[in-house]
Amino acid sequence: MTYFKLSMRNAGRQARDYLVYFVTMVLAAALIFAFNALAVSGEVLALTEILENFSLIIVLASVAVVCVFGWLAAYSTRFMLSRRSRELGIYLLSGLTGRQVARLFFLENLAVGAVALVLGAGLGGLLYQVMRAIVMAMFAQPYRFALEFSLAALGRTALCFALIYLFALGRSRRHIRRMKIYDLIYFERQNEGAILQKGKTRRLVFGMSLVLGAVGTCLLMRKSLYIAPAGAFCAILALFGFFLSFASGVPAFFERRPARKYRGQTLLVFRGLTAKLASMGVLMAVLSIVFTATLISEGSSSVLYGIMKGRTAEATCFDLYIGIEGETPDPGPYLTYIGKNIPVEQERPYPVYLTGKTQVQDHLGKMYYNYSCDSDPVLCWSDYAALRAIAGYPAVEPPGPGQFPIHSMTYLEEALRDYQGTILVGETALTPGGIYTEHLSQSYGTANGRGYILVVPDQAAEGLPVHHIAYAAKTARPVTTAQYEAVADLARAERDRQEDPSGYVFVLSKAYEETEVAAQAVVGCFPLYYLALALMMTAVTILTIRQLSETEHYRSQFALLRKLGMDRREMARTLGRQFALYYTLPTVPAVLIAGSFIVHLAMMPEPGVMVGWNSPAVIVMISLGAFFLIYAIYILLAYISLKRNVLASAR
Amino acid sequence: MLQVQNIEKYYGSKNNVTKALNRVSFDVADGEFLVIMGASGSGKTTLLNCISTIDTVSAGKILMDGEDVAGLSEDALAKFRRERLGFVFQDFNLLDTLTVEENIGLALSLNHADAQTVQNRVREVAEKLGITEILSKFPYQVSGGQKQRTACARAIVAGQSLLLADEPTGALDSKASKNLLEIISTMNRDMRTTILMVTHDAYSASYAGRVLFLKDGRVFNELLRGDRGRSVFYHEILDVLAALGGDVSDVL
Ligand SMILES: Nc1ncnc2c1ncn2[C@@H]1O[C@H](COP(=O)(O)OP(=O)(O)O)[C@@H](O)[C@H]1O
Ligand SMILES: [Mg+2]
Repeated sequence: MTYFKLSMRNAGRQARDYLVYFVTMVLAAALIFAFNALAVSGEVLALTEILENFSLIIVLASVAVVCVFGWLAAYSTRFMLSRRSRELGIYLLSGLTGRQVARLFFLENLAVGAVALVLGAGLGGLLYQVMRAIVMAMFAQPYRFALEFSLAALGRTALCFALIYLFALGRSRRHIRRMKIYDLIYFERQNEGAILQKGKTRRLVFGMSLVLGAVGTCLLMRKSLYIAPAGAFCAILALFGFFLSFASGVPAFFERRPARKYRGQTLLVFRGLTAKLASMGVLMAVLSIVFTATLISEGSSSVLYGIMKGRTAEATCFDLYIGIEGETPDPGPYLTYIGKNIPVEQERPYPVYLTGKTQVQDHLGKMYYNYSCDSDPVLCWSDYAALRAIAGYPAVEPPGPGQFPIHSMTYLEEALRDYQGTILVGETALTPGGIYTEHLSQSYGTANGRGYILVVPDQAAEGLPVHHIAYAAKTARPVTTAQYEAVADLARAERDRQEDPSGYVFVLSKAYEETEVAAQAVVGCFPLYYLALALMMTAVTILTIRQLSETEHYRSQFALLRKLGMDRREMARTLGRQFALYYTLPTVPAVLIAGSFIVHLAMMPEPGVMVGWNSPAVIVMISLGAFFLIYAIYILLAYISLKRNVLASAR
Repeated sequence: MLQVQNIEKYYGSKNNVTKALNRVSFDVADGEFLVIMGASGSGKTTLLNCISTIDTVSAGKILMDGEDVAGLSEDALAKFRRERLGFVFQDFNLLDTLTVEENIGLALSLNHADAQTVQNRVREVAEKLGITEILSKFPYQVSGGQKQRTACARAIVAGQSLLLADEPTGALDSKASKNLLEIISTMNRDMRTTILMVTHDAYSASYAGRVLFLKDGRVFNELLRGDRGRSVFYHEILDVLAALGGDVSDVL
């Protein structure tokens, strides 16, 4: 038996006994590998130059991720050490020095880490393919599976792992060197003990934590970068107060209410739980904070993506759109350029008019904020019909005589339906004639109205003041960045020649906008998800390690209960209930705090953006769904392994 | 070989001190079989832990061959444990990932003895203790008596001269206990291993050459076996225990 052999054998056992931890480390390696592979992939970086910073951002995110997993590794090795104290004591008793024991433990963890790294890199290769496919889809590029292995990514992953393990093992090494044989051999699991013993203090802390939690959440939702940290601070304090007072409060609660104690399985469920919670108050609070952070980063990345998608959905309905403010801009120059350089299938230059009155705007009142149209905007019917065709929407019946249809963004639809008044356009009186709500580039200054536009018969529009001259086209191929920039330059030059050269000019190309959104999503959202996954996995692993470490305790408890005549099904139910409570507790505050934060965040952008699949409710649901999916997998793993161990032996 | 001089051991904080050992002194000669007896809580384990360097004394001195163990550096202490001391606990303290053979040879091989020497040493000791057949088994596959013999083998495999045993028969049935005590006697007689055994059981104590009685952390009495037979000695021990007070039934 050599050091090496002994370490390897212990490593095998560690991977088996702390399977959850091992699996998480494999996943950690996969995660780090996949994200870094993406960040160094030439194919991805070549998509657009906006992705230039992606590599750097992933490096920064990796630093954060290393800290998170370093915490997990440090916590787990420390925990393993305490669980294996007797074994370490025997080594020392057999005449090994603390240094030698530390070396044994180091080798063992090195082996576990190396295996996790290798497995993780393999898995990460697959994960990378999935992420590559997603990125390609976001950029509307074809994805081809290609078996490639990024050495650079492997190097980065190995470096991250080295840092994670060095941090954890450095700490445990100091711990081992300081250990006393006596404490190791006669190690009896000491409860950390309830920190808050006095009932009065406890109730005070409990009450204060609830108040602080509410205050913190409110502060978090203020739209201020200065107040939000104060809110976060309150929320964190609240979580600590809550878990410290709650954990030590439950036993006291039942001491005072003996009748409640013996009802059903309450006794078992709570005794089992409080024993654990009393020693886990601080940890529970920390995990709850981590869950909150996870949900917030997941949610904000969804909101971020939602905002970008929502804003561009409106802007990308035409392959090419140009709008230059003013009565007299000449579309000639850019039409010439387009005619020469861009293959156009269908196009239309047209004016956007104003009624000179504000009837509809007034009706919308507060929910509409006037931006650059100081009266109701108008399109003439023939232009509108052409625009529908260019955008690829089904043709609609012309309005009946004396009617004006409205085209609006969805958020105004309901309010506009209520509008029953007659409007006077020039000489013509018109009544409302239906509402259409497809995307029609309606959210910009020189767009087809801001939020809504009135469609009137061609002759009624004649002679109305012109707000701006617009142009929309359907092209045979996506507009390239160079073409887009050339057109934009021409449009700006035309704007500068206007009487009032401070007017708006918008040039939108579907292809360009979509690339930009995809790139921003990749740069902004991917790192957030990366971090969120790391946080989530770390927290739930720690929770599960603690849960599974009670296996022995549960086993003897249930063997005893079985002898006392408890039914197996009932035992399974009790176990299930303890499980449910244990895992629910740290998520409740997280869901409350992060949920309200995300909803609030999603309601911040201008109206009309966060709708449909981007609506706050959907984003919260998706964030929670993604969170609880991973959570559930871990719980299931833990439950199966505990149930097998505990109930099987209690036959 | 061992001199215990006026040692004291306190546990607890300032206002709540337990005096686990109170001015205990005695000597152990080379090749002796000494048993320390006393009721539960009388300080037996504490005394043994202090001697075995698992614990430290609050006052007094413990000399091994004239050398104060408190003054040893970490490395010297490890070497001292490795080469001079063997331990046997009530609950075996074997490593369950290692086979019996590996458990016995662990310390030797980790300290750079070559594989052949280790194997020879282990086989030699195993033969003397009658555990040759179980060498390749894991601890969970063997009986309590066999586990404790494995622990004994580990305690002497490196040629240690002092065996410290804390209630070694505590977790064994009477047949296995008897068997183990015979083996410890043999080790004492044939291999000249000095034995210091703690027990609260008069029958186990009757195997010793000398019995020290501990009460409330003090040495209360001493009994020498001399040339008497074991059963005579056994009854004498019972008499002293009765004199020790009240809880004979507890002691038994
Ligand atoms: N770690 C400790 N902390 C506090 N008191 C202790 C500790 N270990 C032992 N004691 C006390 O010291 C006394 C002697 O204990 P011990 O040596 O274990 O007795 P024995 O082994 O004879 O049963 C007892 O009163 C016990 O409660
Ligand atoms: Mg004892």
